Amino acid sequence: MTERDIIFVANEVDELGGVGRWQAQLAGLLADRGHRVTIAGIAPANHPMDLGENPPFKTVTLYAQRPPGRPRRRRLLGPADPALRRHEAHMRGAADRLTQLFRAARPGAVIIVTQVWAMEWVALADTAGHIVIGMTHESFDTARKSSRFERVKKYYQDVDRLLALTQEDADRWVGEGMNNMGFMPNPLPIVPDTPSPRTEKVVASIGRLSHEKGVDLLLDAWAEAAPKQPGWTLRIYGRGEAEAELRARCTELGLDDSVDFAGQTEDVPGALRASSVFVQSSRGEGFPLVLLEAMACGLPCVAFDCAPGVREIVTHEEDGLLARPGNTTELARHLVRLMSDERLRDAMGEQALSSVRRFDPDAITRRWEELFDFLER
Amino acid sequence: MSTVAPDPDVSVVVIVYNDEERLPTAVGSVLEQTLRNVEVIIADDCSTDGSYEVAQKLASAHPGKVRAIRLPENSGGCGEPRNQGVKVARGRYVMFLDSDDTLERNACRNMIEAADRTGADLVSGLCVRVHTDSRHDKRILWYPWLYRGTRTLDSVAELPDLFVFDTLSTNKCYRRDFLLANDLTFPRGIHYEDLLFSAQAYLAAEKITLIPNTVYYWNVVEKTAAKSISNRRNEIRNFADRVEIHRRIDAILDRQGQDELKLRKDIKFLKHDLVLYLRELPFLDNDYRHGFAELARGYVQDFPEAAYAELDRVHAICAQLLLREDWTDLMPAIDTLINRNKISAPLVEHDGRIYWTDRYLDDPEMRAVLDVTTLGYHAKPVDAMFLRNQLTEYTARGGDLVLAGEIVNPLHTIAPDATLAAELEFRARRRSLQTFRFPVATPRHEGDAIAWRAEVPLARRLRPLGIIDDVWDVRLHLTVDGKRTTSRLTVGTVDLEHAQDLPVRPRLTRLMADRVEAQVSAKGHLAFRLIQQGQAARTGRAVVERNLHGGPARAAKGAYRKLRAVRRDLNSGDRKLQVYERMLTRLPVRKGTVVFESHLGKQYSDSPRAIYEELKRRGTPITAIWSYAGERPTGFPEDVELVRRWSWRYLRALAQAEYWIDNQGYPLRLAKRPETTYIQTWHGSALKRMGFDEPTYRMQSEQEQRAYQQALDRFDHFVVRSEHDVRTLARAYRIPEHKLLRTGYPRNDALVRAREGTEAGPEARRIAERLGIDPSRRVLLYAPTFRAHPDGRVRDFEFPFDVERFAARYGDQFTLLVRAHYLNRLTLPPSVAGRVVNVSAEPDITPLMLLADGLITDYSSVMFDYALLQRPIVFYAHDWEEYAEDTRGTYFDLLTEAPGPVPRTEEELFSVLDDLGGVHTRHEARLKEFVDKYGEYDRGDAAAQIVDRFFGPAGEAR
Repeated sequence: MTERDIIFVANEVDELGGVGRWQAQLAGLLADRGHRVTIAGIAPANHPMDLGENPPFKTVTLYAQRPPGRPRRRRLLGPADPALRRHEAHMRGAADRLTQLFRAARPGAVIIVTQVWAMEWVALADTAGHIVIGMTHESFDTARKSSRFERVKKYYQDVDRLLALTQEDADRWVGEGMNNMGFMPNPLPIVPDTPSPRTEKVVASIGRLSHEKGVDLLLDAWAEAAPKQPGWTLRIYGRGEAEAELRARCTELGLDDSVDFAGQTEDVPGALRASSVFVQSSRGEGFPLVLLEAMACGLPCVAFDCAPGVREIVTHEEDGLLARPGNTTELARHLVRLMSDERLRDAMGEQALSSVRRFDPDAITRRWEELFDFLER
Repeated sequence: MSTVAPDPDVSVVVIVYNDEERLPTAVGSVLEQTLRNVEVIIADDCSTDGSYEVAQKLASAHPGKVRAIRLPENSGGCGEPRNQGVKVARGRYVMFLDSDDTLERNACRNMIEAADRTGADLVSGLCVRVHTDSRHDKRILWYPWLYRGTRTLDSVAELPDLFVFDTLSTNKCYRRDFLLANDLTFPRGIHYEDLLFSAQAYLAAEKITLIPNTVYYWNVVEKTAAKSISNRRNEIRNFADRVEIHRRIDAILDRQGQDELKLRKDIKFLKHDLVLYLRELPFLDNDYRHGFAELARGYVQDFPEAAYAELDRVHAICAQLLLREDWTDLMPAIDTLINRNKISAPLVEHDGRIYWTDRYLDDPEMRAVLDVTTLGYHAKPVDAMFLRNQLTEYTARGGDLVLAGEIVNPLHTIAPDATLAAELEFRARRRSLQTFRFPVATPRHEGDAIAWRAEVPLARRLRPLGIIDDVWDVRLHLTVDGKRTTSRLTVGTVDLEHAQDLPVRPRLTRLMADRVEAQVSAKGHLAFRLIQQGQAARTGRAVVERNLHGGPARAAKGAYRKLRAVRRDLNSGDRKLQVYERMLTRLPVRKGTVVFESHLGKQYSDSPRAIYEELKRRGTPITAIWSYAGERPTGFPEDVELVRRWSWRYLRALAQAEYWIDNQGYPLRLAKRPETTYIQTWHGSALKRMGFDEPTYRMQSEQEQRAYQQALDRFDHFVVRSEHDVRTLARAYRIPEHKLLRTGYPRNDALVRAREGTEAGPEARRIAERLGIDPSRRVLLYAPTFRAHPDGRVRDFEFPFDVERFAARYGDQFTLLVRAHYLNRLTLPPSVAGRVVNVSAEPDITPLMLLADGLITDYSSVMFDYALLQRPIVFYAHDWEEYAEDTRGTYFDLLTEAPGPVPRTEEELFSVLDDLGGVHTRHEARLKEFVDKYGEYDRGDAAAQIVDRFFGPAGEAR
């Protein structure tokens, strides 16, 4: 196996959140395989996370403070606008530091650009003939609703491979004329050890209490499901800006006896092991790690089929049940089915435990290495 | 790093025959692949130009990457060079490329990544046809629906469309072992070699992967010159090769027992392959037609019944008439095949059905084929018909042209005593400022057709510009009693090839062009093209062409485009919105102006109309402005100001109005100023979930929901007709309590009054008379709602019961009024005329309800309104489960709540109708409960209450 220099270029080295967690995990996994890994961040993190005592990779951040956004292009001045030119000169300075980093890497090095904002700097730098892999860490539909959509098409146009989270997302990008698409799932974030005994009459939901996570939809579904299965509790982990509103809604629906707002948990596997069913009611998702975690704990999952990442992880009627997005009646029906049938819970839970192994960190790391080799051909 | 050159991943076999100029581009597209480990094998089919030398040069410039081979003698096709190329290939995979085409940069990488990942024997990607001679390199995707996403098949039988449609061999990547193991080669000495090769490869492959990526650019030069007769004859000759290839494929399918694939291929053959040749038949004499028919008959007459059953009307008619060699009826059918909206045959009505021809009516099978009732020809007025106009004479003499023709007169729509007039119009195909019109001597009836003749002083009168307007199309406008129908001239066997061309005098002088010649358009119609015959014209034109691409011309074209873009921008929605927000809404409010809109401007109807009429009845001094959608308003009162939806005047009216009154919603993006009062009357109580109760709205992001909420917050008042509305609609649209107007629907005042017997309704009587409803028969109104596909597209309307059986059984008791949802279209057979009446075009449903003695509906909100009349309602819920299970869901269970019988089948429906009186007595009490529950506030004074409240009590001046 070739041991390579691998340089991640990301918005930040250690921003708290899904992408940050993924990046630190993959960097560690690649380092364990003998590659020399560096993470270059454009700006310092807003909410830094703990990378541990001695992370097995080097880190570098280009700016001491978050750089200002690109000034709005003024039509009359065009590219001659002095504000625009100042901004570009400023960016070029930071890009030069990336160039040095790239030039110092040995032949066979790989540059992985985690986010498209970071790609704006990589595009200005000299990549010294190394392989460049771009990434888009969200579903196509989410990207399409944001300014990232146009930027992905612009800045990632010529990278050697642009990786989406799933085949389906990649295909949608191909439909937009991106012909350099590939896809790579996220690795399992935890090592499954003791699965849940699935004995507690608890349905768990874990996520930020925000509009996007759709806990309001979950409460509506629960209002339909709970009366049919008395004795069960819906335990909602997480906190966020929508909490007060959700608690009020819960009371309004008369669900206070069967819903438990449990707050944020530091011990996700523990919370999952104390439940028998996992439910996710998000309005949008990328490649939800918490579904992977729930399956790794042997829980059958019920979720809105809101993104390719969700159907990639959960196979309907095999290791979980998927409802049409926003159809709370259907979500409720699925919950009732699992709550009322212990054998179904066990069968789907066991199936989840085994099928989630395809996202085993070793398997995913090997896929990355095969991709590096392939792009060299 | 590696020392030994590995075997290439892909060998691309580039075939060439006398194409030295383009060969390097094709080879270059392989050498520039992102996958570097590729080799090129150039297989020269013994070219007579320098192709092979060019190939050898490329080989020596790229040693180890490019090789050149040459066939000892020309094979005359694409197959043999490819076979020879594969023989010497070393790659794990093989792809084919023609010397005039190119590969997409990532093609090889994407192909082998897919093949390696899935283990497929064959990977196929999207091919793009590039029209290199079009002005903007027009691109057409080759069967894109097959390539929407990545897909792996264990057998081609899983996706018959792939086998049937994508018969190219070039947009594919083959595992070389697979080609060798299955002995897959191209046939020699026959056209359409791709068809057989692809079929064999598909059938042999144990795994096939499709990728959505563009892999192949197929460069096409569209021949602008018209096809000559000998071209057309040659094509007919090629048909023999095509049939032979198909027979060979059939033999393989037969051996493998692939009956379904064979059927799909038969259908495709009838629908597509055959059509390619049918298009040529109108231009050829009967000998050629006969030869073709024999060949075709020998092949297609053994196709199973099921293949013919899949054809649409026109295809089936063409196929059957061809088998019978009935040229008289086939030629018009081919015309309709090419021009789908055209009515080409005189048609006959027989036993209440419409037939293409009366020739085979005693044969029940042919009668079924020739029945074109569902096409709805008979329901069209003459000005909505596109009629076949067959050219019968074309004579050019000097500068003059004599044209004559016959226009088909379907079902004698054009009455013998109709006043007829006609003129010919010449119009440039590319948009220009000029059209030329020529009078036509009075057209007259001649047998089944309308004959016409014109002498056209073309040379004197046609003055083209000389550039840009090279091609001129001809139409004939026929006026029948003041109604105009426009036709094109179908050339058919009229000989244009030997006709003289005519002199022409362009405005930019004869240096641009000096003659004009007749030609046939792709749709079979007469057209003219400017040509340069004399030396002066030829050189003049060449100079102009050169300069058209020069600097000054580019600048001029650029300026013109910019001007057009500015104009487009000024009238774009975004710009209008900006002006609306920044300027129009700052103008003063005009007191007393009320802008009305019903169903997004589609109709003058519903509650806004009822409120308007109440205002008018009282003589309240307001300025009423009605919004309308579409080209021209129909059915609106004459004494109001009309503004077209989204026009500048519409925006200005809304910006300055004191009141907005509508029943669905003014454009969501238009903000309402606080001085304006918005009365939202809404248009029906809800069974289906609405607004924020609909899953799609619930799933929206916070931002999208906020924008929607803002649009809803514009409502100052929201009319409800029951507490059911408050629980459903008001909640779904988040309307706060203080905005609710518990007045009932103004549109329903008439219904309540009719129930109380205080008013008979003169409008209803007028409509009954206009529709010719027999006063001795009772009237039933059938008003179903629309149904949607899972993706939200509206499904075509189909009767869920046999309407002819209905007419036969109840015709002497009932007149059935059928009102399709406004999203649907409906055609009735003439057999039911007078007994079943299509009332879909009536703008307002209320008078129809007043006319009806009973209602048949399914889940339409009309049930809530009609119930007010306390007349029987039949709920024909033939697909309730499917409807209720649909993604949206319902607010209550209709099956238990319905205040009337709920038949589920045609039989049940008819037995209910047998005893309509009994329905009334049995359900009277439930109907009252239903009205109390869903229409408690509809008391007949809604319009009065609303006008009282906002415009002052009756009789009082404001």
